Amino acid sequence: MTSSINRDSISRVVLAGNPNSGKTSLFNRLTGARQHVGNYPGVTVESREGRLEIGNKSVLLEDLPGTYGLEPWSAEEKVAREQLLDHRPAAAVIVVDSSAPERGLSFFLQVQLAGIPAILCLNMADEARAAGQVLDVAELTNALQGPVVETVAHTGEGVDALLMELERILAGHLESERPALFHGELAVAVRSLASLVGEGGSSSLPAEYIAVQLLAGTVSGQEIDRVDSGDDLQRSVDETRTRVEASMGQDIAVALASAFFDGASRFVHRALRAKARADARASSDRVDQFLAHRVLGLPIFLALMFGLFWATFTLGDFPVGWLESLFGVIGDWLMAVWPDGKLEWLRSLLIDGLIGGVGGVVVFVPNIVLLFLGLALLEDTGYMARGAFIMDRFMRRFGLHGKSFIPMVCGLGCSIPGIMGTRILEDEKDRLLTMFVLPLMSCGARLPIWLLLVPAFFPPAWRAPVLWGIYFFGAIVALLLALVLRRTVFKGKDTPFVMELPPYRIPTLRALVEKMWERSWLYLRKAGTVILGISVVMWVITAYPQLDSYEVDRALETGELTVVAHGTALSPGEVTESEVEQLRQGEALRASVAGQIGTVMEPVIAPLGFDWKLGVAMVGSFAAKEVFVSQMAIVYSLGGEEEDGVDSLSEYIRRDYSPAAGVALILFLLIATPCMATLAVTRREAGTWRFALLQFGGLTLLGYVIALAAYQIVGLFC
Amino acid sequence: MSQVAELTPALEDYLETVYLLVERNKVARVRDIASERGVRPGSVSPAMKRLADLGLVQYIQREYVDLTPEGMTAARHVLARHRVLFRFFRKVLRLPEEVAETEACAMEHSLSSETMDRMVSLFEFVDTCPQGQNDFLDRFHQCPIVNEDCEECEHGCDRSGAGAVGDQSLTGLAAGERGSVTRIGSHGAVRQRLLNMGMLPGTAVTIERFAPGGDPVWIRLGSSQIALRRHEAEALMVRPIPPENK
Repeated sequence: MTSSINRDSISRVVLAGNPNSGKTSLFNRLTGARQHVGNYPGVTVESREGRLEIGNKSVLLEDLPGTYGLEPWSAEEKVAREQLLDHRPAAAVIVVDSSAPERGLSFFLQVQLAGIPAILCLNMADEARAAGQVLDVAELTNALQGPVVETVAHTGEGVDALLMELERILAGHLESERPALFHGELAVAVRSLASLVGEGGSSSLPAEYIAVQLLAGTVSGQEIDRVDSGDDLQRSVDETRTRVEASMGQDIAVALASAFFDGASRFVHRALRAKARADARASSDRVDQFLAHRVLGLPIFLALMFGLFWATFTLGDFPVGWLESLFGVIGDWLMAVWPDGKLEWLRSLLIDGLIGGVGGVVVFVPNIVLLFLGLALLEDTGYMARGAFIMDRFMRRFGLHGKSFIPMVCGLGCSIPGIMGTRILEDEKDRLLTMFVLPLMSCGARLPIWLLLVPAFFPPAWRAPVLWGIYFFGAIVALLLALVLRRTVFKGKDTPFVMELPPYRIPTLRALVEKMWERSWLYLRKAGTVILGISVVMWVITAYPQLDSYEVDRALETGELTVVAHGTALSPGEVTESEVEQLRQGEALRASVAGQIGTVMEPVIAPLGFDWKLGVAMVGSFAAKEVFVSQMAIVYSLGGEEEDGVDSLSEYIRRDYSPAAGVALILFLLIATPCMATLAVTRREAGTWRFALLQFGGLTLLGYVIALAAYQIVGLFC
Repeated sequence: MSQVAELTPALEDYLETVYLLVERNKVARVRDIASERGVRPGSVSPAMKRLADLGLVQYIQREYVDLTPEGMTAARHVLARHRVLFRFFRKVLRLPEEVAETEACAMEHSLSSETMDRMVSLFEFVDTCPQGQNDFLDRFHQCPIVNEDCEECEHGCDRSGAGAVGDQSLTGLAAGERGSVTRIGSHGAVRQRLLNMGMLPGTAVTIERFAPGGDPVWIRLGSSQIALRRHEAEALMVRPIPPENK
């Protein structure tokens, strides 16, 4: 979290609270940021920031990951703890699901005890009201001795009140009194430890909070340095803890959690004017009786996944066709209006480099948009968590976690959010393992490759099942690899699976569109930046160096030219000028930088049935998977083969490669060489280059071996 | 009281009966003892013989027994325990009278005097001591385990800690069954997460359903619903709550 913003001059406010409390929606509402909002616990795995003006103050608002507590157990909790306790915000807005206020409130009490000025934000108040619950906000404010507001993030209700309270807090208006939470032996223990800490401590945290942390044994290293960590203190902590545990008949963690929860339920009880109807969640539960059914759950889940892909590919095909025609028309028009003989290199760059390269990627936006819309729908309705519930037993067989399923499904959109999404896994090993195999989930960027290659090698009736099969095969390899790695590199026992299942919600259209747009925009932006740049580079290395003279012409003059077309050898007299031109251009391409790279690679990839052209395209696909398509387009259009009467790239590929090579190519692109961005994100998320390179190398090797085997085996039949 | 220590539960009951009869009629007849205890007169005589051997009772005539001074003390001791237990079951635990009576009879023989003393002081504390007059007992009585009509508190009572008789693992419940959490046997992160989610002793937990293959388990905890693996659910001890009659 480094940024150039001068943090001293502006106030820092954080949004914190349990997952599924609508925190991120509220953040969007407050800052107007386009944000990812999910129903799955822990979807907000990154700290997000936004600026807003409150009164005359400039405020930096930070959206903390959803947490249930401040104990440093999981990655999210560590972040939240650090941001709250170590970086001490000017104010914290604790967002709570109004329908279940106790749990959020007990978190609020912990934050309040830590001496952070906190506002209790009862979010999703509309849902609670609809269920018949009435909370007396004034009474709750009174009881908590801290500000309380009711909000509905998606309509903006209560946001003004929240901003007013924030303004008051930032101006320094906050009661310093806190309600008493501890009773009996626990109160005595906290008080006596607090007085010990208070004597020698120089911490910014209240002595009482440090006392609680000492008792719980969760004081961070940084914090313990600030308090007197002498043996005396440690001994009294241990003695006090033993005494409390003995007299309360329960261990300290239970005693403390009970104290916070009891406090919370006492306050809620006091402010509760009407309880929610017992059947408030009944409709959601009825849906679950069907969707999470012990027998029906799995087939429904698989059917939904299949439906998602059917919609992505079948429905998406229409607009893809329109976009293809559009780019074709633009290319033809440029060709027609371009004055002959002027800046021909620029015309080539525009038509072959940009329209061919970037256009080839942009045409697949409709598929990507549909896929992202489907994923957003699954997330925002809350079905994703059910998916993890249903899939856990299955995933565990492969050494993965039910939650691994969610980043893996996200990986179908793009490996990058998928890898970032592995933060929902608490255990480091689970996380690394999921991250390692995640690129095997065929990402959205690989979809254009399949849409190019599958029609090239398979008859129309086979295309849909083959496409489904590619995704399926990727997932199978991912699972088997996970199993192998779990038994070797990532040895360890099963990790806990504790996951909240939020009620089903009907997502707002706005939230769906925002999320879909945010993700699709990432894809488009990649097309506009990385892919644009790479397209230009690829065009240059494909077009240069140019040849002054051609072998073909010399051979033609000496009468030694042999052209083999359509299986028959032609004598020099039969060769047409256009065929000669085509040969010239092929020769030029081979002599270009790209051709040379491809030629160097050829001995390595030849056993897979690949030639230098595919080698060139695969170099590009490391930069971004979909570049493979634009790369092939450039390679072929520069080859000047349009006059052949073949107008589709698929047709060229079918003509030039055997089915066995086609299968090997698909498998290699599916398994090997995750893209540059994946490598970089893995490095960031795993923390080491070693892991990222291990993943890259390991998957490439695996891909090579599988593709080799496939080429040899399929070659026996076709 | 060395003799008391040697008394079997049956003998203690006889002693108690003799005491009550002597209180009422100055003297206890074997036939009355038999009818009071619901046994045949023939069974009473050997018991009386044993009590006489211990020096606790003495025969006045063939059919009449009386307590010796030691017998009087021993009987009072047993009876005091019975009464404390009975009152505890009635007033604190709110058990029906017959149940309180039976349970007191069963328990009075097995408790050590140390435990008994502690129970007496606890009882006195909540019953009579001014320091004890917090709302502890009232809150406890609102708890769903004692008062099934009350839905007010989801947690706040019966923090009994270690597993007691009648406790079982959460996975022992069938879908739709409820239990009150008595112990969170998990460790580390998962334990803390459960505690933070409100999985606390005394909280009611309902099994909603099981995933395909019976694992994970989907539970309802207060107003939230949580999925956990069978392995984690096994570490949670609950006391089954009988289904509500409607």
